[in-house]
Amino acid sequence: MKCQSCGKKEANVRYYESINGKKKEILLCSECAKNLGFTDFSSMFSPIFVNIPEYIDNKSEYLKCIKCGYLFDEYTKTGLFGCPECYTSFRDRLDKILIKLHGKNKHVNASLKSKPSTKSTSNISELDKLKEELQNYIKNEEYEKAAVIRDKIRKLEK
Amino acid sequence: MWWKQVSNDSDVVVSTRIRYARNLSGYNFPNHITKSDSLKLIDSINMVLDKKEYKLFKMADIDEITRHSLIEQHIISKEFADNVETGAIVSNNDNTLVAMVNEEDHLRIQAFESGLNIENCYNKLSSFTNKLEEKLSFASNDDYGYLTACPTNVGSGMRVSVMVHLPALARLGYLTKILEEASSMGVAVRGLYGENTTGDGNMFQISNQKNFGESEESTMIKIKDVVYSIVIQERKARNILLENSIQIEDEIYRTYGVLKNARLVSNEESIKLLSKLRLGVAMGIIKNVSLDKVQGLIINSNTNMLKTILKQDMSEYEENIKRAEYIRREID
Repeated sequence: MKCQSCGKKEANVRYYESINGKKKEILLCSECAKNLGFTDFSSMFSPIFVNIPEYIDNKSEYLKCIKCGYLFDEYTKTGLFGCPECYTSFRDRLDKILIKLHGKNKHVNASLKSKPSTKSTSNISELDKLKEELQNYIKNEEYEKAAVIRDKIRKLEK
Repeated sequence: MWWKQVSNDSDVVVSTRIRYARNLSGYNFPNHITKSDSLKLIDSINMVLDKKEYKLFKMADIDEITRHSLIEQHIISKEFADNVETGAIVSNNDNTLVAMVNEEDHLRIQAFESGLNIENCYNKLSSFTNKLEEKLSFASNDDYGYLTACPTNVGSGMRVSVMVHLPALARLGYLTKILEEASSMGVAVRGLYGENTTGDGNMFQISNQKNFGESEESTMIKIKDVVYSIVIQERKARNILLENSIQIEDEIYRTYGVLKNARLVSNEESIKLLSKLRLGVAMGIIKNVSLDKVQGLIINSNTNMLKTILKQDMSEYEENIKRAEYIRREID
């Protein structure tokens, strides 16, 4: 099982999240997990001997977009960015946000500019999509769902 | 009007909407922009429009009742209706393409179709948007796709929503299970006016929760699949109701009787009664009222639509009298 962030290293950290009772699981390698801020095990133990005020990370409060001056702190309050450039200014934090929101930190390039032709919602593309879905379910060991998809694929391929 | 027409699978599906979130590069997002920049942005959009087909209206130039009637037609969002400072609307003649300017993003471009018509909707939306993109530069980035004020919309910026009428499923208590299942596939099912999930009049919107890292095509296929399976479930549920047909017939004819004879009908009551009438018509129990008539009534009986149609402002009491009159006249 490869890391869902870099796609290169073996995943060895399982990150669980539960929003409104909806459970989500992300598999990451320890390096990506650390970079994305999900697990920094050392920090779980180290602040014991540090004064609390010193431990609080002041940086995010002052993290600012170089273009529009929007504070990252504002984002944590409103859920909105200030301008398109914020995506570049807050890039370090953004990967973590996108993984949390979408389970990914990269958009598919194909859909930009080169729009899909409208006739393409045919069996062929449906098949590709189903196969991809099947792979995902197998990866996540959701075999019951995978079986349903497999049957759909068989039907379409006939 | 598209919301009145009867089309594919209209027994269950009311309408299809697809929207794009787009922002112009070089401007801050609407939550962080100056008023003068917002107005400049409206001008630059207005300049590139094909005036033969599309018109731009500033929200400040539209009266309050009309603005609110646009919410009732599901053409604009609730929050946007009162943005008279910087809001504008771009629309074509029959309102099948409507863009909100300076909503959460600079542009929320929407295309509408009656029934389940994802392809037509997409064609209309993409051809309008592509033409705009030839003349305007939309903020985008190779890794993230189209950039939006809220990172939940970043990517293709596309949301497909299909409005469905699910009275039989609601009645048999199967809704919760279906909503949970759809949600596990990344598809949201919400009540009529977006966020609240009460499902006024058993109308629900089925839409994709994500578009990031997903091609437009697979988003559309996913929604279509989920809508179709929900439509099949709803039809099954209606057949179950028909097994004990005298009971459902009684209920629907009573509803019909109230609508045909009542002298005072509140907006809330009309939503409930018309939902039941719609079910009766779609199931073929009521034969002398057409489905497009009911669809029209469901929208036109709302407070601001009624005021717009009758061309008068009214107190709530007067409004309830006029609503009852209007419905009686329409279904007679």
